[in-house]
Amino acid sequence: MKKFLIKVNGNQYEVEVEEIGGYTVQPVQAQAPVQAAPAPAPAPAPASAPAPAPARTEAAAPQKVATGKIGSTKVTAPMPGTILRIEAKVGDKVTKGQVLLILEAMKMENEIVAPVDGTVASINVESGASVNAGDLLASLS
Amino acid sequence: MSVKDKINELLEKKEAVMLGGGIDAINKQHEKGKLTARERIEQLVDEGSFIEMDVFVESGSIDFGMDKRKVPGDGVVTGYATINGRPVHIAAQDFTVIGGTLGEAHANKICKVMDMAVKMGTPFISINDSGGARIQEGINALSGYGNIFLRNTLASGVIPQISIIMGPCAGGACYSPAITDFIFMVEKTGQMYITGSQVIKAVTGEDVTLEELGGADVHNSVSGVAHFKSASETECIEAVKKLLSFLPDNNLSDVPQYDCNDDLNRITAELADILPEDANKPYDMLDIITRVVDNGDFFEVHKYFAQNIIVGFARINGRTVGIVANQPKVKAGSLDVDSSDKAARFVRFCDAFNIPIVSFTDVPAFLPGVGQEHSGIIRHGAKLLYAFAEATVPKVNVIVRKAYGGAYIAMNSKTLGADMVFAWPTAEIAVMGAEGAANIIYRKEIAEADDPIKTRQEKIEEYRSKFSNPYVAAARGFVDDVIDPADTRQRIASTLEMLRSKRESRPAKKHGNIPL
Repeated sequence: MKKFLIKVNGNQYEVEVEEIGGYTVQPVQAQAPVQAAPAPAPAPAPASAPAPAPARTEAAAPQKVATGKIGSTKVTAPMPGTILRIEAKVGDKVTKGQVLLILEAMKMENEIVAPVDGTVASINVESGASVNAGDLLASLS
Repeated sequence: MSVKDKINELLEKKEAVMLGGGIDAINKQHEKGKLTARERIEQLVDEGSFIEMDVFVESGSIDFGMDKRKVPGDGVVTGYATINGRPVHIAAQDFTVIGGTLGEAHANKICKVMDMAVKMGTPFISINDSGGARIQEGINALSGYGNIFLRNTLASGVIPQISIIMGPCAGGACYSPAITDFIFMVEKTGQMYITGSQVIKAVTGEDVTLEELGGADVHNSVSGVAHFKSASETECIEAVKKLLSFLPDNNLSDVPQYDCNDDLNRITAELADILPEDANKPYDMLDIITRVVDNGDFFEVHKYFAQNIIVGFARINGRTVGIVANQPKVKAGSLDVDSSDKAARFVRFCDAFNIPIVSFTDVPAFLPGVGQEHSGIIRHGAKLLYAFAEATVPKVNVIVRKAYGGAYIAMNSKTLGADMVFAWPTAEIAVMGAEGAANIIYRKEIAEADDPIKTRQEKIEEYRSKFSNPYVAAARGFVDDVIDPADTRQRIASTLEMLRSKRESRPAKKHGNIPL
């Protein structure tokens, strides 16, 4: 999750950006403008352009990803690849070893399984998404 | 004093020493869920076979009030015994005596029994349960460690060395197990770490418990330092005995031979059903291994680390073999930094101790990625190549499915020195996958075609049918035979029988320079 300090029309906003393949930006809601930011904020002029633009994209593309709150057990990608199929949904009770999703990598359908018994707390990718090693795919609670 | 009195005095002295640090200390040990040193030895060895040595050794140190303290046996129990009828030498640290800390005399006892193990050519088992160096003895204690590490190193590849971590193993003390061949850890009570939580907190500010830092789980799955973990000391001891049953006594011995009641010619027709119809779907390589070896008995080593490769011991025709196999279920069975390290060390252990190697190959490639490259997959992958090439034990490879590129060469290939390479009809032995190859070889045709997508698909199919099979390799002799999966056990058994008299020499040298 990358944090940026963006100045728009003289007001400063804290924006969190998470890359999830769909490249949607989620501006943190209801953040009071930060006073005299010590962090080097991008120059106000160019910043004012990208800031509203991602916001518009975010509004235009309804959030299909990152459903559910992230649970305590994180399931990450063991290697880079593409999500082929999601086999579980938020709220499902799963057992250790149960397939959560299929990651296509190295020309193989790799089964990403639940590392422990639990309930699916979140599915953080969608079918077709490109992921890197270590990316959060899902989480259990 | 009469002769009889003197004998009684001896018996009383011995009894006192046997109690180690005393009843209270023993109870404290038990309350923590730990056994005493002598109790552990008793469980490990054949009944009544343990002969203890150096019972009356005491610390010679006098600084810091050491001359006033009772330190029976100087905190370690050493001696020899038999396990399932086979001789071993043992050192077990005694936590009830001055925290099992290592002093000069303690280290000397261990060194003495290690020297005996090498002279007599028996496995050496070291049970670690110690607070570390005895601070009161200063650098005499440290030198003690040095003496032990030297012997671990000189004995490496001469006798099997097994370390069991049943308590704290802190700081420099970790280097003795690290040099040995196999490390067993007990969950919750066994921990290994170079720097403890307190020092870490002081220096880096990180907060971590000893179990999180260096417990059995961490070292078995994350760091790969340990090879086995057990929920209890009893379970751990049983696992050690099982491991020993596969190993020769020393590097000049042959592997142990047991009666084999599993037919050598058993047809393994069910192996064909294990592979999915779609070559892109995973399966469990363990299903293949267990059906090929004697009685399905596969003793997996390093099970929780780098799970994309499987290593372990089994028997064929009652004789030990070392198994190395890709696991398609994890990371598509690819080779990476950790799996290369894991397999290379195992191959070199087998080579040192005359254990034939049987490998099962289904590897798509080395795992791509900046992370891998920057972690040095080049030098780690090279370890595996080096290990297979260096090994002069019988080497048999079965190519089950994928075998592409450098990873195909790394997995016990013919030109690396494998004695016999079999391939199943499902084998795909090629320089790279059809898609990648077609893109490169037919790049011009595809670019200039009217319908590039259709042409590309055609070229991919053309390449696949021409090259993604075992016959191209077989035509050149890189594969010695393409076999029906049903004949796998039979063919391996026959090959190993033929290879029993194998003698292969290497140019004389002090030792090679394996990339590390």
